[in-house]
Amino acid sequence: DRPLWRPPIKLFKRASPARLPFGKKQLPPIPKNAAPITKPASTGTPAQSANGTHASYGPFYLEYSLLAEFTLVIKQKLPGIYVQPSYKSALMWFGVIFIRHGLYQDGVFKFTVYIPDNYPDGECPKLVFDIPVFHPLVDPVSGELDVRRAFNKWRRNHNHIWQVLMYARTVFYKINTTEPLNPEAAVLYEKDVQLFKSKVVDSVKLCNSHLFDQPKIDDPYAISFSPWNPAVHEEAKERMFTYKRRPEDHHKGTQVSGLSWVKPGSTQPFSKDDSPPQS
Amino acid sequence: MASMVANGNQDGQSLVLKGVDPETCMIVFKNHWAQVVKILEKHDPLRSSSTLPSLSMINHSAGSSGGPRFGPIPGDEASAVQNYVEHMLFLLIEEGSGQAGAMGPILEFVVMENVMERLFVWSLRREFTDDMKLEQLKMYEMLVGQAHQPLLHHKPILRPLMMLLSSCSGTVAPQVEGELVLLLNQLCCVLAKDPSILELFFHTSEDQGATNFLIFSLLIPFIHREGTVGQQARDALLLIMSLSAENNRVAKHIAENTYFCPVLATGLSGLYSSLPTKLEVPNEEWHCLHKEDWLQMPSLVQFLNSLEFCNAVIQVAHPDIRDQLVSYIYNGFLVPVLAPALHKLTLEEVMTTTAYLDLFLRTVSEPALLQTFLSFILLHRHDSVHILDTLVSRINTPFQLGTVSLALFRTLIGLYCEDVMLQLILRYLIPCNHMMLSQRRVVGERDCYSVSTAKILALTPSCCSPDHSPPPLRQLDSILFSKGAETPSNTSTTEENDSFLEEDDGLGNSCTIGSEIYLDVSYLHYLYDARLSISSCIRACQVWSARYDGEDPPPEKYQPGVLEEPGLKKPPSITQMELEWDDSYDACPVQTDEAPVESKSAQQPPAELPKHIQEMRKTAIMLVKGSYIEENEFQDDVMVYNLVAKKDSRDVERGRLKSNRSESEETQPGSAEVALQNGLNFNSHLQITTTAESGDDLLAQYEELIRTLDTEAVKKPNADLKTPVTPAEEEEEEEDEMDFTSFSAETPEPEKLQSPFGSKFVSGSAGRSHSAPFTGPFVSVLLSRLENMPSNSLHVNLLLTGILAKLAAYPQPLLRSFLLNTNLVFQPTVRSLYQVLAIVKNQIEEQAATRKDFPELITAAQHWLLARETSFVAAGDDAGRMLKSSPPPKLRAISLDRTEVFAAVLFTEFLKELAAIAQEHSILSYIPMED
Repeated sequence: DRPLWRPPIKLFKRASPARLPFGKKQLPPIPKNAAPITKPASTGTPAQSANGTHASYGPFYLEYSLLAEFTLVIKQKLPGIYVQPSYKSALMWFGVIFIRHGLYQDGVFKFTVYIPDNYPDGECPKLVFDIPVFHPLVDPVSGELDVRRAFNKWRRNHNHIWQVLMYARTVFYKINTTEPLNPEAAVLYEKDVQLFKSKVVDSVKLCNSHLFDQPKIDDPYAISFSPWNPAVHEEAKERMFTYKRRPEDHHKGTQVSGLSWVKPGSTQPFSKDDSPPQS
Repeated sequence: MASMVANGNQDGQSLVLKGVDPETCMIVFKNHWAQVVKILEKHDPLRSSSTLPSLSMINHSAGSSGGPRFGPIPGDEASAVQNYVEHMLFLLIEEGSGQAGAMGPILEFVVMENVMERLFVWSLRREFTDDMKLEQLKMYEMLVGQAHQPLLHHKPILRPLMMLLSSCSGTVAPQVEGELVLLLNQLCCVLAKDPSILELFFHTSEDQGATNFLIFSLLIPFIHREGTVGQQARDALLLIMSLSAENNRVAKHIAENTYFCPVLATGLSGLYSSLPTKLEVPNEEWHCLHKEDWLQMPSLVQFLNSLEFCNAVIQVAHPDIRDQLVSYIYNGFLVPVLAPALHKLTLEEVMTTTAYLDLFLRTVSEPALLQTFLSFILLHRHDSVHILDTLVSRINTPFQLGTVSLALFRTLIGLYCEDVMLQLILRYLIPCNHMMLSQRRVVGERDCYSVSTAKILALTPSCCSPDHSPPPLRQLDSILFSKGAETPSNTSTTEENDSFLEEDDGLGNSCTIGSEIYLDVSYLHYLYDARLSISSCIRACQVWSARYDGEDPPPEKYQPGVLEEPGLKKPPSITQMELEWDDSYDACPVQTDEAPVESKSAQQPPAELPKHIQEMRKTAIMLVKGSYIEENEFQDDVMVYNLVAKKDSRDVERGRLKSNRSESEETQPGSAEVALQNGLNFNSHLQITTTAESGDDLLAQYEELIRTLDTEAVKKPNADLKTPVTPAEEEEEEEDEMDFTSFSAETPEPEKLQSPFGSKFVSGSAGRSHSAPFTGPFVSVLLSRLENMPSNSLHVNLLLTGILAKLAAYPQPLLRSFLLNTNLVFQPTVRSLYQVLAIVKNQIEEQAATRKDFPELITAAQHWLLARETSFVAAGDDAGRMLKSSPPPKLRAISLDRTEVFAAVLFTEFLKELAAIAQEHSILSYIPMED
C-alpha cells in the first residue's frame, strides 16, 4: 500500500538552548532538509499582534493543524489517492489519483491542493489537476475541480482535507453534470455518451503520456514519476513489503520499553497469571 | 633440554617449547616423576606405589589430626618434590592434545599413574597448612587456566581437585580465600565453555558422598564480599546461573539444595542495615542520590553491587531460581527491612529510606525484579496502609522528605509501567466520573486546531510575554518565520529579503504561511522534546493491556477490586503515623507564642490555597530555623494526607455526599478556612484510636473540605479562568445538504453542555466511593503543590513541572484529555491542571503588579537560569557561544529566595512545554508509529 511517512517539520532548528532544562537535556539535532532562515532581529521588526503574547504562535497552530489534517489523510487510507505536502509550504499539497475502474479507468491524474492561509476558518481548499481532465466538473482551462459544490461552507471540526480528496475520487466514478465547469463534457455525457467516452479515453491517454514529465511546480517534495528502474525502485519496494509483513518486529531493539503486569480485561495491578512471585 | 625447562620455570611463561619434540618432553616428565615417586614412597607408610590408599580415609585422618603421622619430612626432600612438580606441571600445561582429541602422552601418563592424587596425598602427609593449600590451589589454577588440552574430564585429575576444594571450605586466611575464589572462577569459566563437565562435577561430588555442587557451595559465602574477591565470586556464580538456565539439574539443585537465594536476599538485608540511616544532605536543592553521591558511600556501593548481582542472577538464571530469589527478596528484604525503614520515626530517616528506594528503583533493570519492588510499593501494606499511599501522602510534607518523595515519583512515572499508572491515576479516571457525562465522547477527540495549546499559552503572565523580554534574550531566541525554505543557506541576508516570493502557480493560488513573524525559538525545542517524549512513551506503552480511552476498559465495568476493598482496610494505627522530629529538632527551644511571621506570607495572594499547606510550610520553615516546634500540628497534617490517600478506598454514602455538597454550595467564601481549621484541630491520638466511625467522620470532614476548596478555586479567579469551563463556541450546528454523510464520522459534533449535575451523577445508585468525582490523591497532591508555585523553591518547581510534563506525555486519552484538553468540562469538584495554572498565573500577575522592579528581576532570573543551563551543557556547545554573545552580566544579582520571580519564569517555560506537548499529541497519537 502506501509508505507510512510524514514530512519533516521544517520549523526545527538547532539554536541556543533557550529552554530551561529540567535536569540534563539534549538538544535537538537539525533535521535534514531543514533550513529555516535566521535573521538578526535588527533587520526586521517583529510582528506584534494586538492579541497579545500568543500571536507569534499563530504559524505553529496553522502548521500543526495542517499536519493533523495530513495524519487524518493517512488514517483514511483512501484507495488510489496519494498526497504529500510541499517542502516549501504546508499549505500546498501534491497528489496523484489512480482510477481503477469505470469510465476513467487507468487514469493517473496528478493534482495540487491549495489550502487557504486562514485555514480552518477560510474557504474550502482548492484542488487543481496538473492537466485539465475532460470532466464536467473540471475547468477545461485551469484544471480546477469544482470542490465548492460539495463544501459550500467550510466548517472547522467537520470538514477535513481528506474529504476533499475523497470527493475528487468520487467524481470520476459518479458523473454529475449539473452546473458544470466544462459544459461541453456535461452536454456530451447527457446527449452522446459514446463520444463522451472516447473523449475521456483521449484525455486519460493524454494525462498518462505526460506522466513522466517534470513536476509542474518545482519542489523537492513534488510527486514525480519515472520508468521502473530496479536499481532505484527494487529496494524501496522490498522495504515496503517487509514492513507490511512484520509490523511487530518494527520496534524491536529500541531501548525504551514499558512494563505491564495487568491482565487484559482487568483493572488490577499485577493481575497477570505470572504476576505476584511472592505469593 | 632439562636445563631449558628449568630456565623456563624460573622465567614463567616466557619460555617457548617450540621445537622440543614431544618424546623428549615425555622422557623428561617421566624422569621427574620417577624422582618424585622415590621420595613419596620413602615416606609412604604402606610402601606401596601401585595400590593407592583410600583417599577418603586419608582425608579423614588428615582432617582429624591435621599433622604428620610418620614423622616430619625433611625440608630438602619437600622442596625437591616441589621443584620436580613445577617442571612437570609446566610440561603438562604445554602439551597439546593428541589426534582427534585424544590425550597427549604426558596427560595419559598423569592419568594412568594417578599423579595428581598422589601429589595431593603427599601434601596431606606433610603439614596441611595454609601455605600448603595455597601451593596446591595455585597448581590447579595454573593447570585449569593454562592447559592446552582439556583436563577436567579425567577423574584422576578432577577428584583430587575436588578433595582440595572441599578441604578449603571454611578457610579464613585471606590469601587462601583469594586463591580459592580465583580457582573457582576459572573452573566456572571452563564450565561455561564446556557444560559437559558439569555432570562430572556432580558425579565427583557424589563419589565423595556429598550431594552438593561443591564449586557452587564454596562460592556462596563470597557473594556479598567487597573488593576483587567478591566480584570474582559473583562473576563465577553468574556463569553458573546462566548454566542453570540450560540445565534443569543445576537449577533444581541450586533451588532445592542450596541456600543461594536466601543468602542473597538476607545478605541484602544485612548490607542495608549497615547503610547510614540519615544522609548528610549537601544542600536544600538535593533530592536524589546521584552516582557521585553514592560512590562516596562504600556501604551503599556494596549494597548496590549485591543488588545488581541479584538483578543479573534474575536475568540469566533458570526461572525456578529467579522465582525463588525474587520471593526471598520480597519476603526477606522488602517486607521485613525496607517497609519498616520507610516508616521510621524521624523525618530524616524516612527521607533517607525514600532516597534509597528511589536509587534502587533506578538501579534495577530486570523486569522480574522491578516487578518485585513495584508490587511491594503497590500491594504491600504496612500497618494496613499501602506503601504507595504513604509515599503519595509524603509528597506534601515540608522539608526534603517532600522533595525526595517527588523525585521517587518522577522515577516511578518514568518506568512507563501500566500497573503504577493504574494505581496512581488511571483507576480514578476509568469510571469517567471526573467529567460531565456528555463529555465522555470528547475524551478521544483530537485537538485538530491547537485550541488547547493556544489556551495554555494564553496563560503566559504579561510580565513574561516575549514582547516584554529584554533585547538580549529576544534577539537570540527568535527566528524569522517564513515559508522561505527555498533560500539556499549561503544566500546573504539582503538577498533573503527579496527571496520571500510567494509561490504562485499563475492561478493566484498563494501558499505562504504567515508573514515575517518572530517566533520564540525555545518553543521549537519544546516541540522537539515533546515529540521525542511522546513517541517514546507511545512505544513503551504498546505492551499495556488497555488503551484507557474511555471505552477500554469500559467505565461502567470498573471494579475497585481487592486492593480497595474497604473491609480489608483498618484504620491506621498510631505508630504508623508518628513521624517524629529528629532529636536535633527537639533540642530547639519551643516558642509557640512568638512565631515570627514570614515575610513571604504577607504578600501571599488571597487566592492561594489550600491554607493548611501554607501553614505547614511556615511551620516547617520556622522549625528548620530552630525557632519553635509544633509537633502536633504536623502530625495532624500527616494524618490528613494519609486520609487523602485512602479516601478513594472508603465507602461514602451517597446521601451524605449530596447533603454535603448542597451545604458547601451555600458556604461563605471564608468558610473554607473554618472547615479547614476544624479538620485539622482534632487530636489525632484520640480520634483515630476510638472507633472506625470517627475515622469516617474525619473522612467526611475532609471530603467536604476538599470540595469547598475546589469550588472556591473555581469561583475565585478572574475571567481568564472562566473561559476554559465554557464549551467551545466555534461549533456550528446547521447541517450541510452535502451528501457526504460519512464525513462526520471522525469528529462528531460536540454535544451541548448538560447541566453541571448530569442525570447520571444525581441518580447514581452506586454508593461506592470510586464513583465520586475524585481524580486521586496523587493528582490532587501534585496540583496543590503546583498551586503553590510562587512560594515553592526553584528545585521543587523544576521537579513538579518535570513530573507533570512527563505525565502529560502519556498517550492514553483519559490521561491526556484530563491534563491537556482545555475544552473538557469536568465535574465541579474536580480540579484540572488548567484551573491550577490559571490560579498560578493570577498570583504571578498580582505579584508583578505590586513590584515595580519585577521585570528587572525577571530578566535577572532568566539569565541566572540560562547560566545554570550552560553549566549542564558541555563547553564549546551552542549554549556556550550564546552566553558569550550575551552582554556581560551587568544585571542585578538575584537571590534564589525570590521564589516568586523564578516561579514566574519557570511557569512561562512550563506553559510552553505543556503547549508543545498538547500540540504534538494532536499529531503523534493518531498516526501509526514509525521508526
